[in-house]
Amino acid sequence: MNLKMPDLSTTGSPIKVVRWLVEVGDFVERGQAIVEVETDKATMELEALGPGTLLQQLVPVGSEASAGDVLAVIDETQAGSTVIGNSHTANEVSYHRDFLLNLYERMLLIRQFEDRVKALFLEGSMPGTIHQCQGQEATAVGVCAALRPDDFITSTFRGHGHALAKGLTVQEMLDELFGGVTGCCKGKGGSMHIGNIGKGMIPGIAIVAGGIPVATGMALAFRMRKTQEIVACFFGDGAVAEGAFHEALNMAALWNLPVLFVCENNLYGASTRIDQVMKNTKVSDRAASYGFRGETVDGNDVLAVYEAASQAAQECRSGRGPVLLELETYRRSGHSRRDPCHYQPKEERAFWSANDPIIRFAQALLVDGNADLDDLDRIQKRVDDEIESAVEKAKTTPKPGIEDLLTDVYAS
Amino acid sequence: MMEAPTIVIIGEEVGAYGGAYGVTKGLLKEFGKERVIDSPISEAGFVGAAVGAAMSGLRPVAELMYIDFSGIAMDQIANQAAKIRYMFGGQMGVPMVLRTQGGTGRSAAAQHSQSLEGWFLHVPGLRVALPGTVSDAYHLLRASLRLADPVVFIEHKALYVQKGKLDPTQADADWGRAVVRRPGDQVTVVTYSRMLTYALAAAENAAGHGVEAEVIDLRTLNPLDLETVSDSVTKTGRAIVVTEACLTGGPAAEISARIQEECFDFLEEPILRIAGEDVPIPVAPALETSSVPTVELITEVIRKLVR
Repeated sequence: MNLKMPDLSTTGSPIKVVRWLVEVGDFVERGQAIVEVETDKATMELEALGPGTLLQQLVPVGSEASAGDVLAVIDETQAGSTVIGNSHTANEVSYHRDFLLNLYERMLLIRQFEDRVKALFLEGSMPGTIHQCQGQEATAVGVCAALRPDDFITSTFRGHGHALAKGLTVQEMLDELFGGVTGCCKGKGGSMHIGNIGKGMIPGIAIVAGGIPVATGMALAFRMRKTQEIVACFFGDGAVAEGAFHEALNMAALWNLPVLFVCENNLYGASTRIDQVMKNTKVSDRAASYGFRGETVDGNDVLAVYEAASQAAQECRSGRGPVLLELETYRRSGHSRRDPCHYQPKEERAFWSANDPIIRFAQALLVDGNADLDDLDRIQKRVDDEIESAVEKAKTTPKPGIEDLLTDVYAS
Repeated sequence: MMEAPTIVIIGEEVGAYGGAYGVTKGLLKEFGKERVIDSPISEAGFVGAAVGAAMSGLRPVAELMYIDFSGIAMDQIANQAAKIRYMFGGQMGVPMVLRTQGGTGRSAAAQHSQSLEGWFLHVPGLRVALPGTVSDAYHLLRASLRLADPVVFIEHKALYVQKGKLDPTQADADWGRAVVRRPGDQVTVVTYSRMLTYALAAAENAAGHGVEAEVIDLRTLNPLDLETVSDSVTKTGRAIVVTEACLTGGPAAEISARIQEECFDFLEEPILRIAGEDVPIPVAPALETSSVPTVELITEVIRKLVR
């Protein structure tokens, strides 16, 4: 596999290699930055398209290359000794075992978090409402794994999974859910507005499709400020019917903005099935009408999501965005706290249960020899311990005082 | 824009055309299309984009061609721009200016002539400014661009042709402070935007009949400078609130209530409101003129209140 210089320069001028970030002989993961280059406009890092061993650096530091030139040769067959072949995905690419187990742990953390939060609500110790994402863990984890730490996400009222996948801690989230002053939003946002700007997540936007124009504007700012950041904008299939979706996608296309639009198509907008509200239920088809690329992906296959999101993120970063990813998934919980989910047919639930992203991935890890049952038990225990200790602390987190009521409305 | 490279303008026709009322004329040529962005006709889209850009290091000025179109963008204004700081526990705010224009005066009829400042006044988290002079159109906008919070900056379409003095070397407007535009000791007229011009003319008329009215230009409705107002009302004992916005549930009601709470012991007469009729704005010029306060009406009310 060759790493080629992408078409980064708007003026067609040569692009300089600033420094190599990986030595010859080193193993690189998919998405890992390999080389830093400089155009007439900006400095940026180029990433490996797949895992492998770096065999050759063809352009020395300080030299220039043009779009299409081969910069490096990466041997995919020479995966390091810690890397085990994974036959799980279509591309037959290999992943580092730690990377795979981390994906698994993230997904499990989201599932256990959501289940524990549900129990806390049912026992009446948590205020407010909740919108949970059991069954959709692979979308959040797969997309966020494809982002860099300084990239951003926007989320919705169903944002617990996105937050955990983007690196928010269980503690700051549980504290927030308990309305605690130590929560990520000081007890003023709650479940629907979870966010932490330091971790690249603005508060959850709880108006359907409301975050899509906002993400578009963030990307506009990134492009203007010539940063290399991108924003992944999560929304559900319900948002596709909103005008804001149309307006924002058209603008993002028009200005080639680095936004990764991520539609988590879980088949239901609240209780209404997608085929009741749209004639063409293939959401990714919309992208073509705006003039950019759309793709439908098995949203319960975390590696398929990761690969599609990595590709899309790279397109966005190189100025070829936006991209619309439609991730097909299923919500195993109700729309919100009191929704018993009676509208989901039994057979449909059974089908998606058999397609559960966590079980599927666990099976793949076992079959491919990347993990044994002890490994999975150990991860489960670590996740459970983390959540339980956070719950205990969160229950007694100090609550905001009345003196906090009117602060943060305005800056001054 | 020369001072702050983060300022960008986004809206319909703001670039090549120079804005529906010519406010951004010449800016595209001077600052380029990276900073003066012609948007599609997508009010929710570009106002929302301004919200996102404001959260990512820019200081956007979104231009909503008519305030009447704000309904289409209201989610982005009232739910996103206004609330992000609070629901995010103060982690960050939305430093943007939404420039728009409203009011009657050009026979633009019911969907292009409204005075909707009350909508924004009712949303905590938004600042609301309404310049009534040439100088404030510039210096109050500059002050708005220094704030860390979203400002809805409402110009008046009939004032675009008004001539006045502008001293660009003068300091930015003192944000949130009302200005006494005409001193008087018998009655206080509280107003803003185009009604300032009307109130000043009415005060001159009244002076011809021996009644001295003090005219206060609020300039911002949020924050509301109650101090300047109550200093005046405490002195005059009488207050009239004049707005072009229609009467029912309008800003005149809010301002009157505040004066009453603040100055009850000093009031010699009930507070009076002069406001637009509760009617969609008609197109026929005679009807349009009659749908909002006139100089004659304000004059008459001033004279009657000071018997």
